[in-house]
Amino acid sequence: MEPALKILPDVSGEIAGRTLEEWNAAYVKVENYFHSLRIQNKPLLGQLVLRVLERAQRRAPAAPNRTATELAAEEMDRIVTEWFAEVLQTSPVGSEHTLSTRGRLALLLADMPGKWQDQFLRPGPWPQEFVEAMRESFFRAGPDFQLSKMTPRPLDLGPITTLTNLGKIPYVRIVLAWTGYALLLIALFWLSHGGFKRVIDWFQQNG
Amino acid sequence: MLFADLLWRTGWSASRTVLLVLFISLFLLTAIGCMHGVYGFFIRLFGTQRRITALKEFKSHKIDGVSTAIIFPIYNEDSFRVLEGLRATYESIERTGQLDRFDFFILSDSTNPDRWVEEEARWSELVRDLDALGKIYYRRRLFNEERKSGNVRDFLNTWGKRYRYFVCCDADSVMRGETLVDLVKLMEVHPTVGLIQTVPALVNAESLFGRIQQFANRLYAPVFIAGLNYWALDFGNYWGHNAIIRTEPFMQFCDLPQLPGRKPFGGQILSHDFVEAALMLRENWQVWLAYDLAGSYEEAPQALIENAQRERRWCQGNLQHSLVLFAKGLRGVSRMHLLLGIFGYVASPLWLAFMLTFNWIYCYQKYTGLSDIPVESFNPYLKAWSGTAHAFLIFVICMVVIMLPKFLSLVDLARDWPRRKEFGGLLNATGGVIGETLFSTLHAPLLMLWHTRFVLTNLAGISVGWTTQRRSAAGTDWLYALQRHWGHTLIGLAWGWFTWQLDPGLFWWFTPVLVGMVFSVPLSVLTSRRSLGARAKAAGLFLTPEETRPPMELISLRSRMKIHELTGDEVPRRRVHVGLAAAVLDPYVNAVHVSLLREKQLNPVYAEHFLRIGAGTDAVRELGEKLLSGGPEKLNPDERMMVMADQGVMVWLHQQAWVRPEEKLAPWWRAMIRDFSHREN
Repeated sequence: MEPALKILPDVSGEIAGRTLEEWNAAYVKVENYFHSLRIQNKPLLGQLVLRVLERAQRRAPAAPNRTATELAAEEMDRIVTEWFAEVLQTSPVGSEHTLSTRGRLALLLADMPGKWQDQFLRPGPWPQEFVEAMRESFFRAGPDFQLSKMTPRPLDLGPITTLTNLGKIPYVRIVLAWTGYALLLIALFWLSHGGFKRVIDWFQQNG
Repeated sequence: MLFADLLWRTGWSASRTVLLVLFISLFLLTAIGCMHGVYGFFIRLFGTQRRITALKEFKSHKIDGVSTAIIFPIYNEDSFRVLEGLRATYESIERTGQLDRFDFFILSDSTNPDRWVEEEARWSELVRDLDALGKIYYRRRLFNEERKSGNVRDFLNTWGKRYRYFVCCDADSVMRGETLVDLVKLMEVHPTVGLIQTVPALVNAESLFGRIQQFANRLYAPVFIAGLNYWALDFGNYWGHNAIIRTEPFMQFCDLPQLPGRKPFGGQILSHDFVEAALMLRENWQVWLAYDLAGSYEEAPQALIENAQRERRWCQGNLQHSLVLFAKGLRGVSRMHLLLGIFGYVASPLWLAFMLTFNWIYCYQKYTGLSDIPVESFNPYLKAWSGTAHAFLIFVICMVVIMLPKFLSLVDLARDWPRRKEFGGLLNATGGVIGETLFSTLHAPLLMLWHTRFVLTNLAGISVGWTTQRRSAAGTDWLYALQRHWGHTLIGLAWGWFTWQLDPGLFWWFTPVLVGMVFSVPLSVLTSRRSLGARAKAAGLFLTPEETRPPMELISLRSRMKIHELTGDEVPRRRVHVGLAAAVLDPYVNAVHVSLLREKQLNPVYAEHFLRIGAGTDAVRELGEKLLSGGPEKLNPDERMMVMADQGVMVWLHQQAWVRPEEKLAPWWRAMIRDFSHREN
């Protein structure tokens, strides 16, 4: 049997080796998380938080380097996951993350915040309706896939294809080629109209 | 001919030829609109059997065993509004007793992590509220390739084969249950029909601008759409939402190819709907417009600038259709739909060019000192008319062409007593038409300038950036309106000065165009005001049937939106990274988020996407550590999204954020934990 929780501070003003301020911070942390799970009933919320702190305080002497908040947060995570495992009848070992997601989803779909706040983290047995709501809840974002592949059929754009192809013509190369050809013609014309003789004369004058 | 005759009388010139060509193009478009109105009016007067709802008896047809998916592709939209629209539709179908035949899908492409988490949280709340687990599904893509059409394709590739039909809704769509059941029945009794488009009524507008648009839509659309259906029949069109589609042919024929060439014309087809209808028609499937099926609703922009932002997106998409226009195998009617869509935007630069050419002719005439050479009209009846009288006649004809459909819509209303009452009586409706006409006179020149800019920038391949609109509860703020409209005001002033210099008489003829430009800032701000919308409503102006006799679906939607607005649920959204905080800290939101990620991993396509972003790797775990110790600002947006897409890291973050000593958490986390712990649940 576990020793009873020491809820009052000792003579040094500490509980399980941590100051009251530290436990207050731990309390707030755990309360915040349960609040985010939409646990709105104050007495219930207080009880749940104390249950978590109790476990954290039991672990505290063995972990002198850990803060009260760290210990409480870890215990909170553990308690919730263990409870999900019990309710959903799944082993928590090796599937903590899947279990945590599935459990939270089940809480949402079973409308725990609206209908079953009193059952949250309570040890079993639970009302049959609650268990069914938790275990049978599933989430489907779509029906079974029936995969296929649409393929576009060719579309002959007719005369437009010619126009769109105009954009692909290498205009620069064409302009360069025609410029080169024009220059060649000009050169031939010049050479055949006295240019050739002038070139010969120039070479003769310059030795 | 009359206009050509007038130009002839004033002395033909090259610029007058340009003016004539522009006039013919613009008048043709206006005349097409007018003819829709005239035909629509007579069709409604005498009735027709040539509509999908009258071809065969369908009401008694059973739809047992027929599965239909109702999909809501969304992208960073207000998830509360989207899901409340879905709720209204869901409850409406439930009332028909046919809920078992339908499944709902929220197909998210949201890139904003806050929106992502909010969508998940609201979806899980909705399915619990409606007890609709396994009826309403949520899926978010990790990569939003090819936007909406890619989003729909992803749905079809994953679940399409489960459903014989799917109904595509917009983020702001609401549909009546009976209408949806009727659509399924119509598809069942017409096995050759591939798509039926309903005509969504604009609803829920509160600003003056929104209510004017809504009134115009509700009063004029029935006449116009009846005219459109007259020539389109089973060669109708698809407008992208509030339509039922036969899944198999759509999957087989309507996957869109990439267009050749560079952006903005090449690449992905942005306005996919018209092209999908054209592809459906190409394969001999019918596309109908169920214009007489009521109970299909959507919302419209509440301000001029918001409207222009939407127009810009549509403009790019519609201009891109010019590449598809000559595609082989398309039906002529499809080409007509595409062409009218293109001209919906090209008409604006043409109108501007028309007015500028006219100014040029006037200016040339004045400054060259050339006098008009009076030539007799070649029309024997106009020989005795002066040039001015001749011009006035053309003006009157143009006005008749523009105004006739509006007048016929009023006549159509006058002969239908119950409908007349829904519009607040004939007198109020007439007042509304006058008000709407005045407003659209001021609005049209602004649209002309905007469209011209959109067309030119698109043609030049320039992307015009738009900052997020700054809207208060009252509407568009003055500074933002000034930023968006100063150019319009300046153009209006300069143009006004120019025409005054030319001829004060000409100036007065141009005032309807110039007033809208010069006063664009107050026009934009004041018409965005909800208070003015409410005053107009109190005065009985711009009333619509959905305002005077709102259907159950809209009553439900509006009341929930109102409660949401009053309870101040909007406040947390203003905080930065609130979605990330909720996904990590809130035990339930985290559980929903992680479960969705886990389920997604079962699809091989998404599993491959998870690999692409590195989910499950040590690198993401390190980012998670950085997130805890440094806060969200230490990560870039992509890194934050990587962390949020990794289920293992998200579970670990949840545990660590609550278990880890506070001094090992970034100050941001400490603040968020305090917030979460003290909020009212």
